[in-house]
Amino acid sequence: MAGAAALRRAARRAVRTLANSSAPPRTISLPERLLSSQASPEHRPRAGVSGSDLGQYPPERIRNFSIIAHVDHGKSTLADRLLELTGTIQKGHGQPQYLDKLQVERERGITVKAQTATMFYKHAVETSESLGTDTPSYLLNLIDTPGHVDFSYEVSRSLAACQGALLVVDAAQGVQAQTIANFYLAFESNLSIIPVINKIDQPTADPDNVKAQLKRLFDIDPSEALLTSAKTGQGLSQVLPAVIERIPCPPGSCDSPVRMLLLDSYYDEYKGVICHVAIVDGAMRKGDKISSAATGRTYEVFDVGIMHPELTPTGVLYTGQVGYVITGMRSTKEARIGDTLHQAKSIVEPLPGFKPVRHMVFSGVYPADGSDFEALSHAIEKLTCNDASVSVTKETSTALGMGFRCGFLGLLHMDVFHQRLEQEYGAQVISTIPTVPYIFEYGDESKVQIENPAALSLNTGKRVTACWEPTVIATIIIPSEYVGPVIMLCSERRGEQQEYTFIDAHRALLKYRLPLREIIVDFYNELKSITSGYATFDYEDSEYQKSDLVKMDILLNGQPVDAMATIIHNQKAQKVGRELVDKLKKFIERQMFEITIQAAIGSKVIARETLSAMRKNVLAKCYGGDITRKKKLLEKQKEGKKRMKRVGSVDIPQEAFHELLKVSSSK
Amino acid sequence: MLRSAFPLVFQFPHRRKPPPIPPRPPPVRRYASPAAAAAFPPLPPASAYVHLPFCRKRCHYCDFPIVALGSSSPFPRGDGDDPRISDYVRLLLREVAATRPVSDDGVPLETIFFGGGTPSLVPPKLVAAVLDALRGKFGLSACPEVSIEMDPGTFDAAKLRDLVGVGVNRVSLGVQAFQEGLLRSCGRAHGLREVHEAVGIVTGCEGLQNWSMDLISSLPNQTQDMWEESLRCTIDARPTHVSVYDLQIEQGTKFGQMYTPGVFPLPNETDSANFYKIASKRLSEAGYQHYEISSYCKTGYECKHNVTYWQNRPFYAFGLGSASYINGVRFSRPRRMKDYADWVQKLEDGTWCPESSTSELKDMAMDSVMLSLRTASGLDLHRFSKSFGKNLTLSLCTMFRPFVESGLVIAMDTERQALQLSEFDVDLENKGDTGSRVAFIRLSDPDGFLLSNELISLAFGIISP
Repeated sequence: MAGAAALRRAARRAVRTLANSSAPPRTISLPERLLSSQASPEHRPRAGVSGSDLGQYPPERIRNFSIIAHVDHGKSTLADRLLELTGTIQKGHGQPQYLDKLQVERERGITVKAQTATMFYKHAVETSESLGTDTPSYLLNLIDTPGHVDFSYEVSRSLAACQGALLVVDAAQGVQAQTIANFYLAFESNLSIIPVINKIDQPTADPDNVKAQLKRLFDIDPSEALLTSAKTGQGLSQVLPAVIERIPCPPGSCDSPVRMLLLDSYYDEYKGVICHVAIVDGAMRKGDKISSAATGRTYEVFDVGIMHPELTPTGVLYTGQVGYVITGMRSTKEARIGDTLHQAKSIVEPLPGFKPVRHMVFSGVYPADGSDFEALSHAIEKLTCNDASVSVTKETSTALGMGFRCGFLGLLHMDVFHQRLEQEYGAQVISTIPTVPYIFEYGDESKVQIENPAALSLNTGKRVTACWEPTVIATIIIPSEYVGPVIMLCSERRGEQQEYTFIDAHRALLKYRLPLREIIVDFYNELKSITSGYATFDYEDSEYQKSDLVKMDILLNGQPVDAMATIIHNQKAQKVGRELVDKLKKFIERQMFEITIQAAIGSKVIARETLSAMRKNVLAKCYGGDITRKKKLLEKQKEGKKRMKRVGSVDIPQEAFHELLKVSSSK
Repeated sequence: MLRSAFPLVFQFPHRRKPPPIPPRPPPVRRYASPAAAAAFPPLPPASAYVHLPFCRKRCHYCDFPIVALGSSSPFPRGDGDDPRISDYVRLLLREVAATRPVSDDGVPLETIFFGGGTPSLVPPKLVAAVLDALRGKFGLSACPEVSIEMDPGTFDAAKLRDLVGVGVNRVSLGVQAFQEGLLRSCGRAHGLREVHEAVGIVTGCEGLQNWSMDLISSLPNQTQDMWEESLRCTIDARPTHVSVYDLQIEQGTKFGQMYTPGVFPLPNETDSANFYKIASKRLSEAGYQHYEISSYCKTGYECKHNVTYWQNRPFYAFGLGSASYINGVRFSRPRRMKDYADWVQKLEDGTWCPESSTSELKDMAMDSVMLSLRTASGLDLHRFSKSFGKNLTLSLCTMFRPFVESGLVIAMDTERQALQLSEFDVDLENKGDTGSRVAFIRLSDPDGFLLSNELISLAFGIISP
């Protein structure tokens, strides 16, 4: 709940501010205050930042940048330090990982949701005209990005608003798989890249080796690298000057009608839809009318401001600035990420949008207690307001009742979604075995994309003539002694080697084309375990490949359990079927009748187990007239049954569904 | 003197003529479950349970409220009474005295049960004092059933004769097993020799016809052969009643620390179920009726006191940790002596009154199902329907249908003759409106009984979803 609560708190503050606006707004000439070394909470602007202040920052005085890094290389700590250095947050106040607002982000040490913070910083520049130096103030927008591949969609979105990026690399661990992925994302977006070798205070730090890797892999000049320790503060003073000097100012025309890129949106229960925008041309003022290029709808600007780091109204945003805008949008569905918002009644060229979201993993999400469908529906609606990257459609399962088929960017994204549902909305869910989107082609040349294995009916009379499955290009970096086992793992997973190189004397880089299905469940865990945790892994989407796929049903007492159906490679069916059946036998409790558990392809049974009937469950004890304890026991037993899902007459414990998720896709 | 306090008739076996077979349920009003308080005004209790908590030592499986006396005074008589016992009985008598009878029109007690603990450790004159007090307070019917639990090694022929002399007419003998090793490993305070002696004393006691042999199955290291042997010895001793308990591993007991159910040396689920089936088979062959999950009797020798429980009828209770059911309220007394003494004080001062817990109707329905399905008589559907509604009754039957089909549940007509599934189905289709033949449902013996927890908790799910 931390994230939502923080946002709500921020919103409430902002609402209070608005409510008090009948009194003259307490505007503060902000930059000077911020730069004073004794910045204290009382001095920090909360009531509002006047538009005239922002007017002091033409594009030349603005830098928009993000920090990209492999997980745990110190991105969030570096962000905290920069926010402190500029007085945006106070050292020792507030929580660490300031920008990671969601509980799931803090718990997992990852960034899921892009966040933005505006900072002010004075920087001495030598001016050619004057004899001395000038110390103008700069407006710096730090746009935080998620590090994991699943969230590359968020990354590309954030990078679209930036002109540069700090590429943070751990001085001891060196370049890792996500470093590479993020570098290329930034590189393809034409960003200026400032390499930051962080954690140089560690005893095992080897910055020279890291510099050599950067040179070798990315052709980065070793002299460009900044050496820092976000922990001790060493080298931090060079960071913001480098941002100002090396990253170009945002392009754009101040005189044109306003045009902006919609970076992100979320729903706040007090203020409605809040859009994060990067102003490309012109200026947007409170009261302006703006239109969406995508929907053609027009809105009035009710509130506009910067994230400093909480919502801080300014009344205006100028060219090159990044901030928020609140309009009368009712739902985040109206706020299409990547859309161009522009001055109403003018015709503008839409800005290039982002790479559209591609859902790689689908899974059914059902209320753990069937009666909670409405509650789940509500929770999912709320959550997707803040995570537009999830696709949601209603579906019905005979085993699980009413639920949703959700599309995710990847498995971590799915996990995070489930965790947020639980933590932020208190929803208890059962999710079905994740699947990837397959394409089936029939004799009549019609093609169907299958996102739910249960939906694939093999008895439609139509003959399946071909199946395709999505693949990824995986990048794996490992110490060279693990190359053997990793190659073995990849070939077990039907991988096809694309590249095998050494990035330094000790570490190898492998590239494989792998079926997405083979990596979505346990590949990363397996990889970590066979490399003692040293492997790093990242992947990018690649094309579909033809594959020999079959639908495998799970039957309990002869009745197929739709929520347990999977699509699988023919060669793996036997093994996986065996494993699923064994797992179910372990997790389904004995009942008052015998239960047969089968895995079948069409009418052919490929694995079968029998769970014998429960023999005895009786309390034959001398208990006198004291029936209360016995009754409690039976009531507990009754409650236990309530938590089961019933297929036919068989009760399936929720854990069975959770356990099935863990069954390897290929082991 | 004590003896003379009781009418002579008590000296004779209290029952001559067994009732018709199978045991008929008591008359309608007896069911008077407070559940349907509106429909059936509650009757005053006609049963009393008296807890005599003393044991020589605690058995390894026991989690009852008991007081361990140590090895002294196996069967004292005369003046050498243990003050702990006499003090307790004094407390007990104070409780009886302070208890207000439910009705003034004098419904006499029909059953009294001295349970424990090991009640046979209590001197007969103290048992007599309690009986006197109960008689004075509530009155006794013409032939009440007065049961007492006795353990081998805690009484001799004279003591039993004294007990019978003061009015006890039914003995429940806690034998548990016929193997020296098993007795020892259970932590019983007696050996096999005492078992045989005790059986001899009980069977040789003139004036005592009605007695129960209590056994425990699924003991650690118990084999099928041992169990068969115990059953054979039991049948040879020709008790009128046999209780076969299935060992429950309770938390906080020595067994609870030592063993895990289903794991060696405890028998696994299959073996344990088998023991249950063997008991059912052997005892039935020997002419015992399996009238309740853990109870067998020769025709007419049901434990009337326990039948009170299973018919959900009210009963008084007295003593440490005992549970009463009066005016629709179930109340358990404190399990610790000090707390119990304080509670008795409050009862006397009139500063304690039972919680006016108005049990919900569905609680009553659950009690009724839970208790009646433990018995061979089963659940009286007409009565249940009257108290809790036709829809609920129908839902229960619908839920049970697959089990009627698989044989775990038996539908019976008014004569308690088993009905075919098709007849059950006809009733279901007619929603019990026309030609309704299904009058009772019961769990089958032994398979249905063996799964009673499952089946009853399913019924709970229907009553209280």
